[in-house]
Formats: sequence, structure tokens, C-alpha cells
Amino acid sequence: MKELTLGRRTSLYALVCITLLYSFFPIYWMIISSFRDDNSLYANFSLLPGPFKLTNYEVLLELTDYPTWFTNSVLVAFGTVCITLVISILIAYSVTRLQFRGKMAVVGTMLYAYMFPPMLLAIPMFSLFVKLGLADTRLSLMISHCTITLPLGVWLLWGFFKQIPTDVEEAAMVDGCSRLKAFVLVVLPLTLPGVVTVAIFSFLLSWTDYTFALVMIGTDSLKTLPAGLDTMVGTYELRWGELMAGSTLIALPLLVMFMFLSRYFIHGLSAGAVKG
Amino acid sequence: MRGESVLYSIFGVAIALTALLILYPAYHALELSFQDLDSFISEPVWIGFDNYVEVLAMPEFWNALGRGMVFSGTTIVLQIVLGIGFATLLDSAIPAKPLARGIAVLPYLLPTIIVALTFQWMLDSTVGVFTQIARVFGYNYIPWGESSGAAMTVVILLSVWIWTPFVTLAFLAGLQAVPGELYEAARVDGASAWQRFWHITLPQLRPVLTVVLLLRAIWMFNKFDIIWLTTRGGPLQGTEHLPILAYRKTFELYEVGQGAAVSAISFLILSAFILVYFYFFPLDEKE
Repeated sequence: MKELTLGRRTSLYALVCITLLYSFFPIYWMIISSFRDDNSLYANFSLLPGPFKLTNYEVLLELTDYPTWFTNSVLVAFGTVCITLVISILIAYSVTRLQFRGKMAVVGTMLYAYMFPPMLLAIPMFSLFVKLGLADTRLSLMISHCTITLPLGVWLLWGFFKQIPTDVEEAAMVDGCSRLKAFVLVVLPLTLPGVVTVAIFSFLLSWTDYTFALVMIGTDSLKTLPAGLDTMVGTYELRWGELMAGSTLIALPLLVMFMFLSRYFIHGLSAGAVKG
Repeated sequence: MRGESVLYSIFGVAIALTALLILYPAYHALELSFQDLDSFISEPVWIGFDNYVEVLAMPEFWNALGRGMVFSGTTIVLQIVLGIGFATLLDSAIPAKPLARGIAVLPYLLPTIIVALTFQWMLDSTVGVFTQIARVFGYNYIPWGESSGAAMTVVILLSVWIWTPFVTLAFLAGLQAVPGELYEAARVDGASAWQRFWHITLPQLRPVLTVVLLLRAIWMFNKFDIIWLTTRGGPLQGTEHLPILAYRKTFELYEVGQGAAVSAISFLILSAFILVYFYFFPLDEKE
């Protein structure tokens, strides 16, 4: 391979820096704004970080519903992840192991459903929840998040399970394991990366969802973080410091997960795991 | 094979649950679109195709459809051009590649609410950082989001910022599959960097390009949250496309049936794209 000339190299690095600045600057600005007080937010403009104050976070956590929304988000996301994992593992595994006509239609339907835009599902689902008396509950939001995460889970895990040869569990079953035991002890550990990927992205989709939360939840104290933060825009005069603190706290778990689990993230993202 | 009956029953239950969760709401959406309803609790009246007739006669509908096409068309083209560029850059010989790739992916992970808020803060017409920077260059007042055109430009740029990493990642994966010998051979023949890109990289990336194009079309056409959060479809409905029209009809104008009809029509358009996708990429169990 030929070495790049100095000029070439400089312009390549410059382009890469611009790309990274483009991707990262808004995140940087959100974080440093969240630590600024009113004076440095609105009067003394500087691109550099600082001053470093926690006032916005204190106001946000003590004077707004933010902690409640946080709890709601955690509950809904946790529920969504559990339901998604159980059901999608069962479907994906049985589809890869059963032989019957039309089973590809199941996978096809899942992929089709995965492409549904949230708003098209949210309206009829809300109507059904009203009929069932479940409207405006966190449970209804959890269930509606599953309409995105389940197809994703089946789709991703189908890809993982079909790569595990059936001999693996047949050998275990010859040795006296039941089908279920063979699955749990032999197949599941082999597909752990797939399971982790599905868990991460179910969490991500539920944590970041705004559309379903907007339609399903009307009561302020039942809102999740994205919808809750949005109501702050409507009701308060625009307190940018607090809004940026609120945004930073929503992004924080995602950024931390991304740092430690980036391998799974990149795999899932390349497979189209974030709908959109 | 043993244990098949267990598998069949598990499969049956799981599929029934999924059908209830996904197919039934889709069916219910269609049902709503044939009814006259002013709220979700009122008694439905079956009115056949009246909602569709009314919706199709509204100029609002056609404007929204047109805006949706402008929005999705522009964002898709920009995402693909930027995505190919970023992928090529991030694939070249640079230090700290994984870090650089990680940073380039970040926008894709952020909740849309954060992106909408942060950009509104950055574009604030008196103290926003972009406004302050523009001021240094002598532009004292920039009316971001006051005219429909400006608002549309802003939502397009935000969408491009968020969703380009999807394209970047897809092309990065595609680039790994391009055989290195092709480049070596081209270099021996004296091809310039641009010629190598145009005659080797691009043709090799064509299958990826088809997938990306279809998936982007399917998803961008029905984006709701980023536009709603940034402009609420305004100013003067200047950024209102079909999903926002459906939402407003249903929850603000209490025309549930018409809202459902709008959804059903977007759903038909969407299905056409999804069928094209399946035509090009049939599911293959063996691959």
C-alpha cells in the first residue's frame, strides 16, 4: 500500500475532524449548557465549557415531575424488555426448529410489522385500550412498545437461531435432556449475544419513544421522560438550562451503555435495529 | 424429532399473542376508517367509503402528501450522499477508528425529543449558539422557523443529522466486502482516487444502496416525532405531512374516522414500498 502524501493526509484528517465535529457538537453543546447558569446561558457567550454549576439539575429534580417521569420510563422500559425477550425468544426458536409450510410467512409478517410507522399503530391501539379500560396507563404504553420491539426481537433472533445447527440440541437430547432443558442449557448460551442485542435495543426503543407516549398517556404523572420533558416546553417559559439538563439525563444511560456495549450496538444498528 | 409438540404449542401461543398485538390493531385501524366517530368512546356509525371520499377531496390532504414527499425525498438523498461520504472517510487509514465510528453513530441513538430541544436551543433567534456564530459573520437576525420554507429546511436538516448514521453504518459494512485486489489493480492501472471510488466502490455498493434506499423511503415517509416536536406541523401547516394530519384529525379535530382514513392511505403507500423490498430481498432461510 502506498503511503499517503502529507497534503493528502492533512486534508483527510481535516475532513474526518469536520465529520466528528458535525456529529458531536450538538451533544457537547447540550451537556455544557446543562451546567451553565442563566448569566452564562443568555448573556456571556462562550464556546468553551464552563462555568460548571449544578443549579439546573437541582431545580429539575426538586421542583419538577422529572423524577416521577424517570421512574415511569424505567418501569415501562424494563417491562417492555422482559415481555419482548420471553416472547421473541420463543417465537424465533420455534420458527427455526419447526418444519411446516408457511413458516416463512411468520418471519415475513414480523419484518412487515417492524416497518409499520408508530403513528399508524398508535391511533387504533389507543382506541382499543379505551374499549378495554386500559387507556392512560403505563401498562398500555408497555404493550404498545412491544409492537415495535417484538418484531425486532423475532427478526434479530431468527438470524441468530438459524445459525445454530440442530445437532447441538439433538446431542443434548440423546444424552437425556428434555427439549426445554436442551434449549435453556445448550442453545440459549450460544445465542447470548443475540439475546443481549435484543435486550439493549428493546430498552433503547422504549426509552426513546415519544410517539406512543404522546398518544397513550394523558396524565402528567404517568408520562415517560420524552413526553414529560415535552410538556415542560409547553407550560414553562423556555428554561433552556433545565431543558438541557433534562435532555442530558435522558441521554446519559444510552451514552454509558454505548460506551460499554458498543460491539452489540454496532451489530444491532447494522441489522437495522433502531426503527427509523 | 422429540419435543415437537411442546414447540408447536409454544409457537401457537406466541403467534396468537403477536397477532393480537400487531395484526388486530392494524385491522382495527381499517375498521375505524369506515366509521363516523367523533371520539373513541362514541357509538360508531358505519359509513362505508365516505371518510375516504372526504379526505381525498381535501386540499389539506394533497398538500400534506406533497410535503411528505418533499421531506422524505430530500432527506433520503442528503442522507445517502452524506452517508457514503462519511463511510468512505471512516474506512480510510485514520487513527482511533473505533472511537471515530462511535462518535459518528451517536446522533442515531439519541431520542428525537433531545435532538429537537437541543437544536431549538442552538437555533434560538437571540441567544442560540448558531445565531451567535452567525452574528460574528455579520448576520444579525436569522428567521429560523418563521416561514414554512425555513421550518421545512430545519426539520429536513435535523432528520438528516439523526438518520445519516444508519446509512453510514450500512455502507461501512458494505465497504468491508469490497475485495482489496480491485483497488490494487486499479492503482496499478493508474486510476485516481476519484476514479477508483466511481468505478469500483460505487458499483460494488449497489446492493447495499438498494436496501438503504428502500428502508429509508419506508421510514422517512412516515416520520412523525421529529417534525411534531420541532414545529408541530407549523407554521401555518407548512410542515404538516400525512402522519401529522392523521394525528391532528384524530386528537385535535375529533374526526377519528377521517384520521384513520388518512392513516390507511399512508399505509397503502407504505405497503407498496415494503412489497418492493420483499421483491428485491426475498427471505431466505439458508443464507
